[in-house]
Amino acid sequence: MKVDLSTPFGRLRLKNPIGTASGTFGYGLEFAEYLDLAALGAISVKGLSRRPCHGNPPPRICETDAGMLNAIGLQNVGVDAFLADKLPELARLGATVIANVWGDTEDDYVAVVERIGADRRIAAIEMNVSCPNVVKGGMIFGNNPDALAGLVKRIRAATRHPLIVKLSPNVTDIVASARAAVDAGADALSLINTLVGLAIDIERREPKIGFTTGGLSGPAIRPVALRMVWEVRTALPKVPIFGMGGIETVEHVVEFLIAGANAVQIGTANFRDPSLAGRLVKELSVWCADHGVARVSDLVGTLKTRPRPDHFFS
Amino acid sequence: MAVNESLRVLRTTHYDEQHYSLFLSAGSIGPATRPGHFAMIQAGEGLRPYLRRAFSIADVTTVAGVPALEFVVKVVGVGTAALARFAEGTPLPVLGPLGVPFPIDDLLPTDRVALVAGGIGLAPLVLLARTLAARGIAADLFYGGRNENDILKRPEFERFLGSHRCRYATDDGSLGRRGLVTDLFTHALAGGARYRRAYACGPLPMFRALTRLLADAELEGSFAMESEMACGFGVCLGCVVPMADGRFATICKEGPCVAPSRIDWTRL
Ligand SMILES: Cc1cc2nc3c(=O)[nH]c(=O)nc-3n(C[C@H](O)[C@H](O)[C@H](O)COP(=O)(O)OP(=O)(O)OC[C@H]3O[C@@H](n4cnc5c(N)ncnc54)[C@H](O)[C@@H]3O)c2cc1C
Ligand SMILES: Cc1cc2nc3c(=O)[nH]c(=O)nc-3n(C[C@H](O)[C@H](O)[C@H](O)COP(=O)(O)O)c2cc1C
Ligand code: FES
Repeated sequence: MKVDLSTPFGRLRLKNPIGTASGTFGYGLEFAEYLDLAALGAISVKGLSRRPCHGNPPPRICETDAGMLNAIGLQNVGVDAFLADKLPELARLGATVIANVWGDTEDDYVAVVERIGADRRIAAIEMNVSCPNVVKGGMIFGNNPDALAGLVKRIRAATRHPLIVKLSPNVTDIVASARAAVDAGADALSLINTLVGLAIDIERREPKIGFTTGGLSGPAIRPVALRMVWEVRTALPKVPIFGMGGIETVEHVVEFLIAGANAVQIGTANFRDPSLAGRLVKELSVWCADHGVARVSDLVGTLKTRPRPDHFFS
Repeated sequence: MAVNESLRVLRTTHYDEQHYSLFLSAGSIGPATRPGHFAMIQAGEGLRPYLRRAFSIADVTTVAGVPALEFVVKVVGVGTAALARFAEGTPLPVLGPLGVPFPIDDLLPTDRVALVAGGIGLAPLVLLARTLAARGIAADLFYGGRNENDILKRPEFERFLGSHRCRYATDDGSLGRRGLVTDLFTHALAGGARYRRAYACGPLPMFRALTRLLADAELEGSFAMESEMACGFGVCLGCVVPMADGRFATICKEGPCVAPSRIDWTRL
């Protein structure tokens, strides 16, 4: 059985629904020796800022049960160095590149997307409005639907690229954030970013991470991510969604598609196995064939739920 | 060029409850390995440990005629405990060789170098000692541990370097001189020993003390550094140390072998 993996995603048509998540895939080139970048649906590069950023003092990471905490502090080479030193090679290798961007202020975000301009080598812009690891910026936009809407409007006006807003899961109502972003002009959504967590060295009575708190990622967060994708899909049936959070296997990919993601991004699992994302593309094709699914997009949002009783609150 | 491949467990040799050597089939990592390189090893399929763990490639050798990588491991937690328990023949995912190796290409046959090891920091120095010996470069080993049990691979070091060139220090005096490895090294320098470069691996306090010693003696160093690592190939940016130029540098990509003068020890 010939399986069609192509994935309509708003104005884009991805080769397949397997992408890689910002901050877990470097600038893509680091993975070129472990997989074929052109075979992936999309790669989202490390969050880019107006100027290079040194990030947080170490220790920046620690392993937790079925996952890890990180507080990298968005260290990156800056948008100029990315465009000059990384993008030409990514384009030559045939990668579908998503530029993940962030800033401390609205002006910073605008500066980054203006610098990218109409560069055709970039397929879409993904705004990180949810990084929990910088003292200023990010998190304010992620936590407050009005601030988020204001920011998205300004970026929308500053770029003609497809605009993906990556939402923070550190909110009580993910649907409110999603609506605010879409109403302000977002073409698509990515969810979820990391969940704020804390790990403690009990001998020293110190946090294991220098920044005190860090972002939790990996299999530990998958049920939360799935729930949020499903909630947003239910509330906004049309918006293209990248789902992510703890994806490690083809079954996890299928889970996210059923919950309502049009495509997924592989995150922390890239650290465990740098060849994984490439293998998942092949495995997804096999899974679909084995299950009589001719087009992978037919899986999207097919979760069959039972009606909940009125008094059920969680 | 690093390789992501599956290597079979060939043998596990236990020294005591805390220390062992793990021998894996060499795969295509073996021939590409230089002294100071490391590998990321996945200890099993499960979620605990979740991430791969970093280990120096201690030696490229053979086990019953089969080309092998040797890792010398100290048990400190879940991953190092799990790695000790795999049956012969078990395939383990390994990524390597990784990082910047020790700088040795510029050494001349007339040069003399120092190798300084603290505890499990012996690991990257085994292949270094073997390589230097093969090139006929004289090397003095200064190796310290808490007690005799911490001093591993002694026969190999003494075979490669000559036993008269191997000096030991232990906290309890059970082997060699009582005291710290840096005391041994200070003593040698005071006695007139001169070196082209000092290669070192050990705990942070040893690195700090050695950095001062080297600066005072105007001696070049190369330290094999450690840091918590999630990926091992420069993408997570988790393993950084502060550098003298104000940047944070990844230990996995710009290291692990770094000149101590490049690191900002006051911020570490
Ligand atoms: C480049 C490099 C080379 C290394 N070579 C060797 C080697 O040859 N032999 C060897 O025994 N060990 C080596 N290590 C250290 C080894 O990676 C850690 O001991 C191991 O990751 C601990 O895993 P665990 O699951 O047993 O411990 P965990 O349960 O994860 O942690 C136990 C304790 O170890 C500390 N720890 C965790 N990871 C590291 C780390 N990467 N470095 C230092 N401390 C850590 C934790 O903070 C904690 O206090 C090396 C580390 C690096 C970065
Ligand atoms: C080390 C690390 C760095 C990250 N950096 C970024 C980043 O720069 N921008 C961003 O939008 N998300 C970043 N993320 C979040 C991931 O893209 C992803 O949303 C999250 O980790 C959940 O997916 P996972 O559980 O599969 O890792 C980072 C995650 C990790 C673990
Ligand atoms: S361990 Fe990931 S960048 Fe060094």
